Amino acid sequence: MPYQAEISRKNPGCFVFLIDQSESMEDPFGGGEDGRRKAEELATILNKLIHNLCIRCAKSDSIYDYFHVGVLGYSADSCKPALDGELSGRSLVPISELATKPLRIEERVKKSDDGAGGVMDQTVKFPVWFDPYWKGGTPMCAALKEATRIVETWCQEHPKGFPPIVINITDGEATDGDLVAEARKLTAVGCDDGSVLLFNIHLSSTAGPSIELPSSGSKLPDQHAKQLFEASSTLTPFMVARANELGMSAAENSRGFIFNAQPLHVIHFLDIGTRPANVHLR
Amino acid sequence: MKHAKAGRERDIKVFSCPKLGNSLEEYEDASAHRHTRTQVGIRVAVADGATESSFAKLWAVLLAETYVRSELTGAEFFDRLTPARRLWRRKLSGRPPLPWFASEKAEQGAFAAFLGVQIDAHKNRWTALAVGDCCLMQVDNVGKRMRVVETFPLQKSSQFTMSPYLIGSKSNDESLNERIQISNGNLRDGDMLLLATDAVAAWLLKQHEDGRPLWKWLYRKLGTPESFAAMVAYGRQHGLRNDDCTLVRVIHHDSGVEAKEG
Repeated sequence: MPYQAEISRKNPGCFVFLIDQSESMEDPFGGGEDGRRKAEELATILNKLIHNLCIRCAKSDSIYDYFHVGVLGYSADSCKPALDGELSGRSLVPISELATKPLRIEERVKKSDDGAGGVMDQTVKFPVWFDPYWKGGTPMCAALKEATRIVETWCQEHPKGFPPIVINITDGEATDGDLVAEARKLTAVGCDDGSVLLFNIHLSSTAGPSIELPSSGSKLPDQHAKQLFEASSTLTPFMVARANELGMSAAENSRGFIFNAQPLHVIHFLDIGTRPANVHLR
Repeated sequence: MKHAKAGRERDIKVFSCPKLGNSLEEYEDASAHRHTRTQVGIRVAVADGATESSFAKLWAVLLAETYVRSELTGAEFFDRLTPARRLWRRKLSGRPPLPWFASEKAEQGAFAAFLGVQIDAHKNRWTALAVGDCCLMQVDNVGKRMRVVETFPLQKSSQFTMSPYLIGSKSNDESLNERIQISNGNLRDGDMLLLATDAVAAWLLKQHEDGRPLWKWLYRKLGTPESFAAMVAYGRQHGLRNDDCTLVRVIHHDSGVEAKEG
């Protein structure tokens, strides 16, 4: 059975994030009700995803390299590694390095339980790896090509490992070719345990209800969303079960596609050991 | 850890084996056993610290030790964890400052599955208390084929998941009371009680379901750490999930039978 390989420090998992930095990301997110641009939403999502991955892998006073993570940005006419600062130019980085080398660590105040039935302000560290950016066209096909190159190398180096997961975060308007055809080439890459998985997170300017892990594209609001759905991989049985445990509605044929919603649960779709059901995700 | 005086010295054995690829220092299960205060019983506990939580080994040890030193057998045990929680916090606060990710993870608390069993040698009864997926299996020793009398709190290998509800080191959360499981049963002379953490429990149940039970082997042949390690190594080739494995085997001897024999 595919997708059974254990994820461990010896056999780490691999996430590659493809992020849309095109001009259209300047537009308002989800109907613009809260005054946020899509690029800002994307930066928030990516910082939270990396933050949560770091917390997942933190163990006592250290951090275990259960995952290697890459971030490719696509904008204007190019696709290039989007991590900056000390990690500039790197296409894949062990999670321990990401944890220790963010661009900066901000301090934010959040409300938390005071243990006596009340609420108190608590200062928390908020690491930032990525700031909003937008420019030019949307070379999404170039990004999928570059991701294909990266995961081919990864699979050659980790033939027994869990197949890489590529997560594309975009507003869905590729300007350089046939998105679905490039996605097929990417997901044709594989290792002994199965093919590479491609998930798509669609940040739309359209207002409306969010859609998570649909089994069919019929209820999606526009052609861009339908195309991204078409390009998305079917979830593995473990992912369907985990999604349901986390309160998402997933079925046997659910695809890794999310429309206008925070995709934070997605990084919990890979198993690294017992996860307490009573730890609530941020 | 002192071995129990109630019953014969050899009748409680603890076996453990870390996850393949991990060092012994990373082993996050715990077990403990001890006399009841009246000396006629034994209290045994296993706890399994969750991989996805920090300082879980310490919490698992504290849970198991707290149980065997207590006299409580019901849900009220979980209301008396304040000293253990205080100790967990104190041990952490004595460490050098943690990096942001370790600090935030520790802030969530540690989590562990727990199973505690009190065995009354005079009344030939056991009482078990559990939260999570550590499992008790009672197997009798009557006739040629050993028979499974009871499994608690899970009955089938398919019931084990990767996200059980666990006991936290910070506080009891609101839904704990719904998750506490309590059971009891009678014992006959020669019965075997196995207390196991999830991976080994699930595998033993699966072997049983598939008509390849290991009960006889566990009863008669399992004796050394090496034999347990060999069983786990064999199991990992045949469906035993790679995880820390802990098994406590108790063979019950009816003190009435012992008195007559004596």
